[in-house]
Amino acid sequence: MKLLRFGAAALVALTIAACDGKTNEAQVNPAPTDGVLTVGLLGDIGQPPDPDIYYANNGLAIVLNTYEGLVQYEDNIDTVKIAPRLATSWEVSADKKVYTFHLRSGVKFHDGTAFTSDAVKVSLQRRTDVKGGAAYMTAGVQSVDTSDPATAVVTLKEGNAAFLDYLASPFGPKMISPSALAANKGSDDAQTYLTTHDIGSGPYTLAAVQTGTKYELTQFDGYWGTKSPFTKVELPVYNDSSALELAFDKGDVSAIVAALPSSDLKKYETSAAVNSYLLPTLQSALVTLNPSGTFFKTAEARLAFLQSLDREKLIPQVLGDRSELATTLYAKGMIPDGADKQEINYKPEVLKAYAATLPAGTTMTIGYATGNPNAQQLATIVAAQMATLNIKATAQGYPTAQVFDWVNDPAKGPDAFFDGNNGPDGGNPYMWGHVFWDKSGGINYFGCDDPSVDADLNKAVLTGDNALFVSAATKYASSGCYLNFSYNKDWVVAQKWLTGVAESHNIGANELNFAKLGIA
Amino acid sequence: MIGFLTRRAGAAVAVLLILTAVVFVLQQYSPGDPVKAYLGANASPAAVAAERVTLHLDDPLVSRYGHYLSAAARGDLGTSYRTHRKVTADLGAFLPATFELVVVAFLFALLLGAVFAMLRTIAGTFVRGVLLVGATAPPFLLALGGIILFYAHLGWLPATGRGGNDDGFLLTHSLVTGDWAQFGDGLQHVVLPALVLAVAPAVSIGRILRASLQQTLSADHVRTARAKGLTEVAVFGRHVLRNSIGPGLSMAGLQLGFMFAGVVVVEQIFSWPGIGNYLAESIPAADYPAIAGVTVVLGAVYIVTNTVVDMIQALADPRIAL
Repeated sequence: MKLLRFGAAALVALTIAACDGKTNEAQVNPAPTDGVLTVGLLGDIGQPPDPDIYYANNGLAIVLNTYEGLVQYEDNIDTVKIAPRLATSWEVSADKKVYTFHLRSGVKFHDGTAFTSDAVKVSLQRRTDVKGGAAYMTAGVQSVDTSDPATAVVTLKEGNAAFLDYLASPFGPKMISPSALAANKGSDDAQTYLTTHDIGSGPYTLAAVQTGTKYELTQFDGYWGTKSPFTKVELPVYNDSSALELAFDKGDVSAIVAALPSSDLKKYETSAAVNSYLLPTLQSALVTLNPSGTFFKTAEARLAFLQSLDREKLIPQVLGDRSELATTLYAKGMIPDGADKQEINYKPEVLKAYAATLPAGTTMTIGYATGNPNAQQLATIVAAQMATLNIKATAQGYPTAQVFDWVNDPAKGPDAFFDGNNGPDGGNPYMWGHVFWDKSGGINYFGCDDPSVDADLNKAVLTGDNALFVSAATKYASSGCYLNFSYNKDWVVAQKWLTGVAESHNIGANELNFAKLGIA
Repeated sequence: MIGFLTRRAGAAVAVLLILTAVVFVLQQYSPGDPVKAYLGANASPAAVAAERVTLHLDDPLVSRYGHYLSAAARGDLGTSYRTHRKVTADLGAFLPATFELVVVAFLFALLLGAVFAMLRTIAGTFVRGVLLVGATAPPFLLALGGIILFYAHLGWLPATGRGGNDDGFLLTHSLVTGDWAQFGDGLQHVVLPALVLAVAPAVSIGRILRASLQQTLSADHVRTARAKGLTEVAVFGRHVLRNSIGPGLSMAGLQLGFMFAGVVVVEQIFSWPGIGNYLAESIPAADYPAIAGVTVVLGAVYIVTNTVVDMIQALADPRIAL
């Protein structure tokens, strides 16, 4: 049996070795002549591509190319700036309660319905009614005045300086056709219908859905904006990154957006056959510490651990060029003058001194989400480094569902958690602070909370006061529960002939606007 | 026969009740919050808590199980937390792909198993060697090796997906309607995953059949048949194969059941849109309605398969009474 197993391994290894040379050759693949763009997905999109339901990353390209919001983040810049989309301009009242949007003319939905202020009202209402994960964005809307079809006046219950960011967010409310919604409403606000159709105004329509296998978009002839040469976009699903890479190398896939592990970065960065892009995002790698665990009960212990992380070595070693050392508490550039400075520097001696006071045999568990190779590598390396301090540390993977259950009972979680890539819904500091630091946010894994931080954030969002946002961040940093480990970029690999990649990407979206892509 | 089928139906109901009960107990005691899969990662605890009430996740286990059984009796297996569709609709969409993959793989397994057992030439020895080596390799390694060789290097076969735009019984439908282009495309897509799935069962079937054939070949009645001057083909066909096929059939039935359970890895790597892929994506998301649905289907398939095999065995060998 041992001989057979050896034979099996040898056969597969020989196959791989025999083929390896050929598949790694620098070969420029030809551009498609059939007008089909193929964007490979790693894993299925996970949820229906309904703009009021979809709250994940993998399938955002489908939502963002079939639907449009009133505003978006400006493409191809590395700062947060709101840009027009279906609204050409807007005014905000001094108290941040009334938002007046002047709507783009000549826009039609995919069913032929003209875009008017009525669509704004219906779209914001559906977001609230469906009660999806991002329904909080419209929860504060008091009314929408539609007396002028070309102008929508949105009045909020109280001031909200983040409201434009809610609308610009890739997860923000998208405009839907009121007549298509009414025709397909059913008993669930058209949720069933929108699993396989769309009712948006984007440059593409959802043509076919084969869950787990393939999604297909076709160009919308009546689109108001620029059209690309791609009349059809196919998004095949690959469950294995090696298979996806093979398809890309052969030219069967035109582009891969933020799906490949960082360990493959060098291979494509140095290849003359393809283009590799590192594009700005609001994403970061994060470290979260568990105050309910045995090891990190005190802020002293938590801060000592954070100072023991040699980020200047770990980032290039594990994350490569797609990441850089984070020096601020919020996302890069979120606070314009960088006043949210992160004061955690590499001082391993602090943890060494602290570890010396611990009883012999003290253990620590460092967690990561299964399926995230970058976080796994970081956790494994750091766990190994702990051994030099006589701390027995173990790196352990956890399924996503389990990670999100810790907040209900943080004692069940690991002592520390490495998040390879995470980010806020949008570019306003409130959206970062609330989601990561507030116990009522979505990604405060261990419920590490400081009510004064929440109070600062809740007050700051009313007016957009950056000083208060900085105050909240500084207070939370002193808890030692959190470290902004690195700023991450979106890594896109594309065939040589594909143009407009950087121009079709914006800091909030983490996806490409297919209408802006072209052929060299 | 009616008594046999009634007994099997009763056993099937009991097995399915136990399987679903196990899934519910696992759901109760497993760590993990499925509502995040339903609402999205950034959903607030308040939204999650509200949705837990809507989905009855905070109800007592017995009450939830009771509701599940009551709904299941009406053909409703609940709604998937991940796809937001009825589990029955998901199963209806994914099961045909798995069914066709397993059927093709089973045909490969029978063919290769027969070659393994019967071919007594140098070519037969070579096939046996390749199958034995293949059967000892982990399926994911075999699949990746196959993709690299047949897709990336030789370009003979596609790497992933099912081909065509029909997500139902693609091969069957295109065959019946005479859509040869679609049929050819579907066949090209199914060959590699089916072969990977078939290798290990082929060896199991082949080994049992070979041992059974060897035993029968040395039996008295075979010696008598040869002494009577029957040709070797007639001896083999009439007196050896029929008497030896019982254990092979029994093993084939067992392997068919295992194939349905073993499609998870193969469907994952080849992005095959079947229930194995559906199950693999449902587990990390703690999508228990989907997991329970697949469990029910796999349990039912396993029972039906074994029942059919028992019936075929009885037909092939009159000594076996049902």
